[in-house]
Amino acid sequence: MSTSEVNGLIIVNYIGSVFLIAIGFYTMMAKKNIMKIVIGMGIVDYGINLLIVSVGFNPGGTAPIFTINELDPGTFFVDPVPQALTLTSIVIGACVTALALSLVIKIKQEYGTLDAGQIRRLRG
Amino acid sequence: MIQHFPILAIMVLFLGAFLTVLCGKNKVLRNIVVFAAMLASSVFIAFLIKPIMIDGEVITYWLGNWSPVADYAIGICLVVDQLNLFFAILVSVAVLLAGVFSFKYMSRDDTLEKYFTLFLMLSGGVMGLVLSGDLFNMFIMVEILTFAAVALTAFRNRSEGALEAAFKYLVIGVIGSSCILIGTTILYSQFHTLNLAQLSVLLHNNLQPATILAFTLLLTGFAVKAFVVPFHPVEADANAAAPSSVSVIISCVLTKAGIYGIIRIVYFLFRSMNLAPLQFILVLIGTLSMFIGVTMALAQKDFKRLLAFHSISQVGYVMTAIGLATALGVTGGLYHAINHTLFKGLLFLCAGAVFYATGTTNLDKLGGLAKRMPQTAALFLIGAFSISGLPPFNGFVSKWLIYQATYEKAVEFGNIGYAFVTIIALVVSVMTLASFIKVSQSVFFGQLPDEFKEVRETPVPMRIPMWIMAALCVGAGLLPQYMMRYLINPAVYAVMNVGNYIGSVMGPGYAEKIAGQTVEAYSSEFALAGYWSPISWLALFAIIICAFFIVSLSGGKLSKKIHSDSPSGLDPKYDTFFSGEANEHSQVGGSDLFWGFKHNLRHYFDFMHNAHSGVISDYALWAFCFLSFMIVYLFIIV
Repeated sequence: MSTSEVNGLIIVNYIGSVFLIAIGFYTMMAKKNIMKIVIGMGIVDYGINLLIVSVGFNPGGTAPIFTINELDPGTFFVDPVPQALTLTSIVIGACVTALALSLVIKIKQEYGTLDAGQIRRLRG
Repeated sequence: MIQHFPILAIMVLFLGAFLTVLCGKNKVLRNIVVFAAMLASSVFIAFLIKPIMIDGEVITYWLGNWSPVADYAIGICLVVDQLNLFFAILVSVAVLLAGVFSFKYMSRDDTLEKYFTLFLMLSGGVMGLVLSGDLFNMFIMVEILTFAAVALTAFRNRSEGALEAAFKYLVIGVIGSSCILIGTTILYSQFHTLNLAQLSVLLHNNLQPATILAFTLLLTGFAVKAFVVPFHPVEADANAAAPSSVSVIISCVLTKAGIYGIIRIVYFLFRSMNLAPLQFILVLIGTLSMFIGVTMALAQKDFKRLLAFHSISQVGYVMTAIGLATALGVTGGLYHAINHTLFKGLLFLCAGAVFYATGTTNLDKLGGLAKRMPQTAALFLIGAFSISGLPPFNGFVSKWLIYQATYEKAVEFGNIGYAFVTIIALVVSVMTLASFIKVSQSVFFGQLPDEFKEVRETPVPMRIPMWIMAALCVGAGLLPQYMMRYLINPAVYAVMNVGNYIGSVMGPGYAEKIAGQTVEAYSSEFALAGYWSPISWLALFAIIICAFFIVSLSGGKLSKKIHSDSPSGLDPKYDTFFSGEANEHSQVGGSDLFWGFKHNLRHYFDFMHNAHSGVISDYALWAFCFLSFMIVYLFIIV
């Protein structure tokens, strides 16, 4: 594929990531099952990860791994910073999911339900 | 030497967090480690006061010495200008006092090593957020502090609603963090840098659709962290369920971290506060928070939940003042931020002391504790007077500044709307006082229930941090000129003039070179209305009396609708009582002192009660509505 074709295809990543984020947000506000809310949080996270890693893409660029001797002003590689950001974001996303699931387990033990409509002792 | 202090102030907290786990069951060693970490962090921050606040330097620290190459900032940096240091001081004071309080307060719980680990990570996260000079690092720190705060909210997982509150807080917190991360990503895709100073220069006068979207997302993200109005229910839940020492941090420190983020975004990163519609929307959000917070507080039956709603209301004052975009407004906002930390910290510690002594925070069950706990009662009254803005205490000074700022804004722009904000601020202050009269009546005065006859005053280690907070409240009220000179004015100058920050991070002359223009210097001069000027006082009292009249007149008209034979199954206490013996004994509970007022406005209160339904999907829906509204609004105005 030529560079311009690849460049055009990257739009698919952006559409996909926005789509994932939208699905995730929709799940969080429309679903009453707290398990599904946690899944929605996860989907938002994946969408954002896809978005970040797409931002760093340069059509035709190589992997950003060089020794200092190989670097010259002509080297062309994808942006490494978003990849580092994505890794961090993935780790944080995993932590969020773990914490949320542990809370869901405890809530299930305490309330005996996963329905957000019944988990509302604190209100008003 | 001094340039290493910012990173050390963050590192000692995280180091303390991990050393705490290693101490195992040795309580004394653990407490020493925790105390040493908090104290060391505060000392490092205190050493920064002289060079930054007094000499006006800005300290930049590049981690791993990755300083900018060819005007491009790749490395991570910590920047401490006067605004950062202002919030760092606020954080370290609150963390130190709440930490000392929790040694004794938490001593009846088990697995305390985990509590202190999380507590120090929370503190380190906030400290990292306010000292970071890098957008992505701010996101990381936001995540760390959200995790720690969520876990600490659920720490007493046997207590009513703790798990539920933690889950709701996590969901809403994740919405906020996601917004911040998407905004950061969009900015990176446009400018290929994450450094705040560099972004600020590149973004100046460069509002394209992508940057407006990023601005909205970042603003919404930090608004979630500040718990302003559409996001406020989770703060009330979390504060009510968390241990009191954690409530202090959530209410006093995390909301301020959100306010810090908003100031950084609107005043520094995008420098967009010259847009009048943006000022309007920030003031509107602040005013709504003020009003909804205080009216929800009037209807509460739980001591800590009531304090949590007041915290939303007070943060509304800060937000309103910040949104005015005048030097006087920012002064009032920052002054109120530090005052809110002091008095709300004190009030939450008092609630903790009451809980420690009696085991409950239900206003209907408590009463007459002033006889058994005189010092706590006195401390509570100091806090209550401060938050209600009675003259010798600190709340008065900052609220006065905010009234003056909103009124001057109305005069200056000929916009009557801002004068309404002044009136609402006054009415809210009156309602705050009313609400605290209710609390003091139902907790500390009135009848002492039999089961609390043997209650004892809280131990000395818990009273010391409370007395320190009370002393700071009085001090900040009696000596406003020193607070102004050493804390507030430098911070306001830093908010209004971003040139020093950019020059310190990217090297002098960077902004001129890239943007081809100098960073304008805004004036932070303002004339202060005299605190004791009789005419101003007269005007204030006239407005307060008018507010009372409006409330009482509306009450008088509506009350005619109540008939003695009101069927409708209302509580008999709403009936008109003529004479003789009532068949059913009707008791006005401690939490119900203003039942007449609440009854007259029952449609509003019922609506608000039903709106705060406790269902997490609803709160998430509010958050997304707010986000969508902000996106549409900002795209229309720019």
